[in-house]
Amino acid sequence: MEIFIAQLISGLALGSIYVLLVTGFNLMLLVAKIIQFAYPQIVVVSMYTCWWVLKLTGNKLIIILAGVSVSIILSLLSEPIFRKISSIEGVDINASFIASMGIAMIMMDIMSHSINYGFPVAFSPDWVGGNIFGYGLITVSKGQLFALLGGIIAVLIFFFLLYHTNQGRFFRAIAENRFAACLVGIPIIKTSIFSYLIVGILGGFSAILFSMLIGSASPWLGEFVALKMLAVSIVAGLGNLQGGLVCGLLLGIIEAMAIGYFSGSWSNVIAFAVMLIVVLMKPGGLFGIKI
Amino acid sequence: MKCKTLRFFSILILVIGIVFASAFHIFGQEVKVSEWNIPFLNTITGPIASIGEYMSWSANRAAEEINAAGGVRGVPIKIEIIDTGVDKDKAMEEMAKLVDSALVVMGPVPEACIMAAVPIAVKAGLFSMVSSTSYEYAVEYFPWTLSWYPITEEKLPPITAAWAKLHPDMKTVVQFVENWAAWPPMAEAHAVGLESAGVKMLSQVDVPTDAIMFEPLVLKALAQKPDGIMLTCNSEKAAKIIIELVKKGWTDKSKILVFSSADDTALYTTGGDSLEGISIYNYIDLNLDDPRWQAFREAYKKDHNGIEPASLSTNYYDSVYMIKEAIENTGVTGDPAKLAEERIKIRDYCRNVKGFKGIQLTWDMTDGVPTGKGTFLFEIENGEKVFKAMAK
Amino acid sequence: MSEVTYYFLGFAGIYVLMGWALYLPYRVGQLNFLIVACMAITAYFGGFAAREWGWPFIVILIIGILFGATIAFIFSLAIGDAPCFTVVIVGLTSVFIVKTVIENWRTLGGTIGFFHIPGPNNMLAIIYSLLFLVGLLVFRIDHSRWGRAASVVFIDRDVAVTLGVDIKKLGMFFQIISCSIAGMAGILDAFLVKSLSPEFFTFSMIGYLMCILFVGGYTTMWGVILSAFFLQGIPLMFPSNIASWRLVIYGALLVIIILLRPEGLITRKMLWSIKIKSPRYITN
Repeated sequence: MEIFIAQLISGLALGSIYVLLVTGFNLMLLVAKIIQFAYPQIVVVSMYTCWWVLKLTGNKLIIILAGVSVSIILSLLSEPIFRKISSIEGVDINASFIASMGIAMIMMDIMSHSINYGFPVAFSPDWVGGNIFGYGLITVSKGQLFALLGGIIAVLIFFFLLYHTNQGRFFRAIAENRFAACLVGIPIIKTSIFSYLIVGILGGFSAILFSMLIGSASPWLGEFVALKMLAVSIVAGLGNLQGGLVCGLLLGIIEAMAIGYFSGSWSNVIAFAVMLIVVLMKPGGLFGIKI
Repeated sequence: MKCKTLRFFSILILVIGIVFASAFHIFGQEVKVSEWNIPFLNTITGPIASIGEYMSWSANRAAEEINAAGGVRGVPIKIEIIDTGVDKDKAMEEMAKLVDSALVVMGPVPEACIMAAVPIAVKAGLFSMVSSTSYEYAVEYFPWTLSWYPITEEKLPPITAAWAKLHPDMKTVVQFVENWAAWPPMAEAHAVGLESAGVKMLSQVDVPTDAIMFEPLVLKALAQKPDGIMLTCNSEKAAKIIIELVKKGWTDKSKILVFSSADDTALYTTGGDSLEGISIYNYIDLNLDDPRWQAFREAYKKDHNGIEPASLSTNYYDSVYMIKEAIENTGVTGDPAKLAEERIKIRDYCRNVKGFKGIQLTWDMTDGVPTGKGTFLFEIENGEKVFKAMAK
Repeated sequence: MSEVTYYFLGFAGIYVLMGWALYLPYRVGQLNFLIVACMAITAYFGGFAAREWGWPFIVILIIGILFGATIAFIFSLAIGDAPCFTVVIVGLTSVFIVKTVIENWRTLGGTIGFFHIPGPNNMLAIIYSLLFLVGLLVFRIDHSRWGRAASVVFIDRDVAVTLGVDIKKLGMFFQIISCSIAGMAGILDAFLVKSLSPEFFTFSMIGYLMCILFVGGYTTMWGVILSAFFLQGIPLMFPSNIASWRLVIYGALLVIIILLRPEGLITRKMLWSIKIKSPRYITN
């Protein structure tokens, strides 16, 4: 039981990061109508920024501001590219997937070429923090607590914004029917840019929480996470925010439990096999596609 | 009597003549190149670019030293770094470019590239020094390559047994194994050594290549209540597992043994202070009292933000010197007309060189396999590696 | 012919085949990455059958193609008419699962890999003969009723259904042909390289195939031919220090092409202007 609880805490912490990533990804999908495959790479670049600022100043507030700012800037910089792609006649959503794949390749290669000789970057123990609770093997680290709480708070704020503000209403209207939203006077471009800003903020916070949870970053971290983010989003149903929330947490827990309770090197395949079976049985995702 | 004396002098003159003729043959032949160009198929981009960086660094350093001392047979040596990434197609095409002109090739580095590109070199009769990989890969292409390391199942058991003997109270060990290249057979060899020292191996914990979180793995290991931990996974993952072990209350860190391939810069940059007290085995002794080594070490630290040289960092440094020796001692001229013949000369010399003075050790090669190369066991104390045992 | 030309042409030929394998299902809007899993399976099968059982190349090739077709048939029963990204995730997870199975299968060399695959020496003649035949097949499919039906599905699924197109059957057909071509490419790759490692079949290969399809042009079968040769040649054309940035070059090419020439380098209009009729180009 002790191991089970410890694995559950670990899985929940990882799951909360997936939730943050999938939420940002789905928002892009719903409002901007793009598949932002490079989103995890933006998170990793923000993590690198945090590491760099941590080395330079050590001031936590500046680190947080720097991480979030870089994520917002990168997210906003990609906006004109995706807007141009969306405006091209005869081009569907797949084009944004391909372009974002290209952007992800560029970011990954630059990191592996130019930053810290390609070595992974590690955050200081002061930033990552130790255990704040311990009972036998059941421990809760500062990173886990922040990831869990931070993830929940960020998603709650996001859902509040989505369902209780005018801006959220605009988001939902555009997601439902872009042309109808335009007809009733919703500023499409402005709202779309605002969604990039929100995703940038979410990405920045994901980077900070991720750095506290795993304590390091590497150029290929984004690729590992991107696959899982895409998989969670599809298993949940593309664009389904609530589904993404449930499936993100579930993936974290399944991963932890598979490693904990299945022997052999097959354990890492279990999460993927579960996703494959779900997708084969329900091609539209567990909670249904929302785009 | 006269006849015997005459015969003695005749033989003496003949022997002297042969010796002079051989010497003339070796040393009297003119070098036909203005520069010894040694291509090095390395991985400068991709997931193991950081390893490729210091391999290039050390090969270039060897070349700089050699050139400062007058070059090879009076001609400078140049290391041509060719990036293959971890891309097999690129490695094959780059190797194919070299088969008509290169005297010898260093690399490729990643195992996937070795498997793809070395057969091309073998077919063309080009000797490739794959000095970073383990015996399992090199042996497949003998005699057109050599193994930088002794046979895995002979090399590794003594060092893990030596570690077990330092900790007689350590009765059970869990091994973390990453399923990559030759690491599973290395893990088996570790287990053989530990079992020979009376240690019981508990269920292995497999480390996924794309693992992000390590707590579930550590929990799985700790649930078996082991006395010791053996880490056979990459440097970054080994560091993160150690950090998790510490978080879970592991105190006797000398009973954590990190294998040689994880003794890499990323282990130290990621692990930081958590590494204090752990055991580690590798093939270089950082504190070796030798001016050449200490100069190498200082230069490496200067160019790498104060980080100590990694376990694999000397391999291609020594390879460059081995090629230099081969050229000098076999009278290789670089003449394109004699390319095939001179490639074989270098191959035969390197595969059976005796008393080769590497930057750390002096060893022999026998049919492409090193003998007399030691493995060192250290503990990290106050951030420094402190020698604990050696196994040959 | 120099060795470098031999391997350049060999790989370019195999990537043209894989490009077509990706192109065909994309005719109905599906990005079928299952082709990489099929390629890995048949490559290992081919290598093993040649080295351990001494089977002749032609038998291996035929069985490899059938393997690809069978795998695709089984999967297509579930995803024949699935949306694009469902097919994407099935492909990605399959690649990961196949790779893990190979890594754990000691008979196939496990993580170490599989060496010394015997086989025909002049693979180039075989690759290009098959390339010609597959090219004819793809051309025929493109210009058949199936091809026209696929074009309608790509533009508007509802219209296609109204016109009586069985989307699932069509998707299954394209997935089966696509995986058969990938099965063939896997066998050819194993015999060209003569070694196999689980590291040969990775996510990077998927990225590279995407570049081939979308840089060359996804609306005609000719685009992949141009881009396979062009992209394969980039590392050879540029000096080593520039070529080492090839991922940045590939990524930038993808973004630029999507922005400036979304149909890719070879477009339907371009073919029309040089009197090559594309079944997907509407003139009025």
